[in-house]
Amino acid sequence: MPNLEVVANSLVSGVLLGGVFALTALGLSITLGVMRLVNLAHGELLVGGSYLGYFLLRHTGIDPIAGLALVGAAMALLALPLQWTLIAPLAAKGMEAPMITMFGVSVILQNLFLLAFSADTRAIDTPYAARAITLGPVTVAEIYLIGFAVSVVIVLLVHLLISRTPFGRELRASSSDAAAAAAMGVDVRRVHALTFALGAACAAMGGVLLGTAFSFTPSSGGTYLLISFAVVVLGGIGNIFGTLVAGIVLGLLQSLGAVIFGDGYRDLVGLVLFLLALALRPSGIVRRAGHS
Amino acid sequence: MSRNRTRIAACLLTAGLAFASLSAHAADEIVIGASLPLSGPLAGFGNYQKWGYETAVNDLNKAGGLSVGGKKMRVKLVIRDDKTDPSVVASNTETLISREGALAMLGSCTPALVNAGALVAERRKVPLVAGCDPLGAFKSVRKWQYAWVMFFDEGDLATAPFKMLAELGLQTNKKVAILHDNGPDGQVVGGMIWPDTAKAGGYTVAQKTSFPVDTQQFTTMIAEAKATGADIALVDAIPPQAIAIRKQMASAGYKPKVLVMEKGAEPEQFAMALGKLADGVLVGGYWDPSFPYPGAAELGKRYETETKQTQSQHIADSHAAAQVLLDAIAAAGSLDREKINAAIARTNKSYVIGPVKFDAANTSRIPITVMQWQAGKSVVVWPKDRANGKLIFPLPAN
Repeated sequence: MPNLEVVANSLVSGVLLGGVFALTALGLSITLGVMRLVNLAHGELLVGGSYLGYFLLRHTGIDPIAGLALVGAAMALLALPLQWTLIAPLAAKGMEAPMITMFGVSVILQNLFLLAFSADTRAIDTPYAARAITLGPVTVAEIYLIGFAVSVVIVLLVHLLISRTPFGRELRASSSDAAAAAAMGVDVRRVHALTFALGAACAAMGGVLLGTAFSFTPSSGGTYLLISFAVVVLGGIGNIFGTLVAGIVLGLLQSLGAVIFGDGYRDLVGLVLFLLALALRPSGIVRRAGHS
Repeated sequence: MSRNRTRIAACLLTAGLAFASLSAHAADEIVIGASLPLSGPLAGFGNYQKWGYETAVNDLNKAGGLSVGGKKMRVKLVIRDDKTDPSVVASNTETLISREGALAMLGSCTPALVNAGALVAERRKVPLVAGCDPLGAFKSVRKWQYAWVMFFDEGDLATAPFKMLAELGLQTNKKVAILHDNGPDGQVVGGMIWPDTAKAGGYTVAQKTSFPVDTQQFTTMIAEAKATGADIALVDAIPPQAIAIRKQMASAGYKPKVLVMEKGAEPEQFAMALGKLADGVLVGGYWDPSFPYPGAAELGKRYETETKQTQSQHIADSHAAAQVLLDAIAAAGSLDREKINAAIARTNKSYVIGPVKFDAANTSRIPITVMQWQAGKSVVVWPKDRANGKLIFPLPAN
């Protein structure tokens, strides 16, 4: 068993990284909650965000964290035509057809990344990505702390958007009963398009943070898709507060797993939790206080 | 009914013609197959190999082709992407031999991929020459008859940092942290040779941790290494992981004096992704354009001119592997695979990678060097007689 300092470092890092997982899972959660769309291309949207952040820094010198909103907006704009052309026409055909379509999109995007950017491993190179912060006995990566803070702020902003704005009201109405919302004058197609764009933006912003903390390749999306699914199931589909709590819990438990079994078993811990949550509490670990 | 039959017959004929056009090749053409990791985590290696293989074949074709039994024949190189997946290497090799009619094969990269293709080639009795498979991992699979590898030996690679520390008199606390992946070569180098060599040399192995090849988070493992206070960190990981580990070492405040990152620190993308953080990182090497081998300087210069990228040692081992195979076909004077295989066994010549002569285990050993990333360039720092730069010690603070 490692010493206390190692355990403390690992657990704090896990909590901080869990915040970033919450942001990456948020997009998946809201598209699943509102559109009933299992977005299997979510990981590629995340990797797309990593590339946008990487090239933003390389070609314009804009710090990727400072330009996070720009990356989110760019990904949202790129995602809109995808929704209009591929997902909207399948809206009335159940969950399977859009899910398979998104699987196809995932493969296409991976290959497009490969063609455009080569298979090289890349990382967003910023000074704070390699700096440590020491608080008493605990030393954590500065990027984990920044990632956590940024993620919590974005998650709260999305919560405010959904709970306090007319768009949020329409989104919640569409989520509860799309047919009734449409009968009440809500443009459900528009809501779905904007929800998909919002989900893509969250994934891309999470991708910037993960691309800065770690490294990425065109095929990195799969790992993060699995983590995001685990967070969504733990937190409850469409539950924003639940997603944040679940991300942090998953990060913490993954780190605990790493302390006990080694870093290689983080994903195993995540997937076991995912299956346990599905079996024991399919509605999520967090009690739903109100609307998503 | 008869119209339908006509349509079906036309479809079958079209499909048959299409299939025939895929597999057919001209009578005066030799097909050589290669399965390479052009995508996936090892794509950084595969792209260098592709250039090395293609350059050797294209040069030969430009010079009039291969002389076989007094007849000039063109060589067609067919490359398939194995996506860094051993099962794809196996199916690619099968397809290249059976459908493309490959007379002989050139290998992929790393033991998992090369050995997967070599096993298929061995079963089909098709000669395969490779240059990116550490010899211990290659020899441990079986007694090979048709597969040939020229590369370094893991023992040489793993002991090189310790020999360098001793020869250069570098002062450390003699504590070693070993972090290695659980792939075939990672287990041999990190799991066995490094700990044994460290103990034999009077070093203390303060930590030894293995991890699967698809992990990205190493927080706990690095925190443990830092807690041991080891001055020497030895890492065996593929490029995506090596990059993530280097970043996480820095962001955890772990600053060993010596950092060796085998495999992952080899391709240029390592230095490009890490910038200044790559400076001072050591990696085992076996080739540099400055080495006194025929065509070495020209090959390095040519790669950089053509691709606008920094050369890698993989252009040399792949170029030499292709030349060894092509020379053997010419020496056999026949398209008989048994004769070609026998000619490979007789190889005794100096290539761009150095002298190549196979032993009874079908391997030809390349001497090892230690390279270090310095300002985005890979510099040979050990042994002294081959060094073209001075070692940076200790590892610079980021």
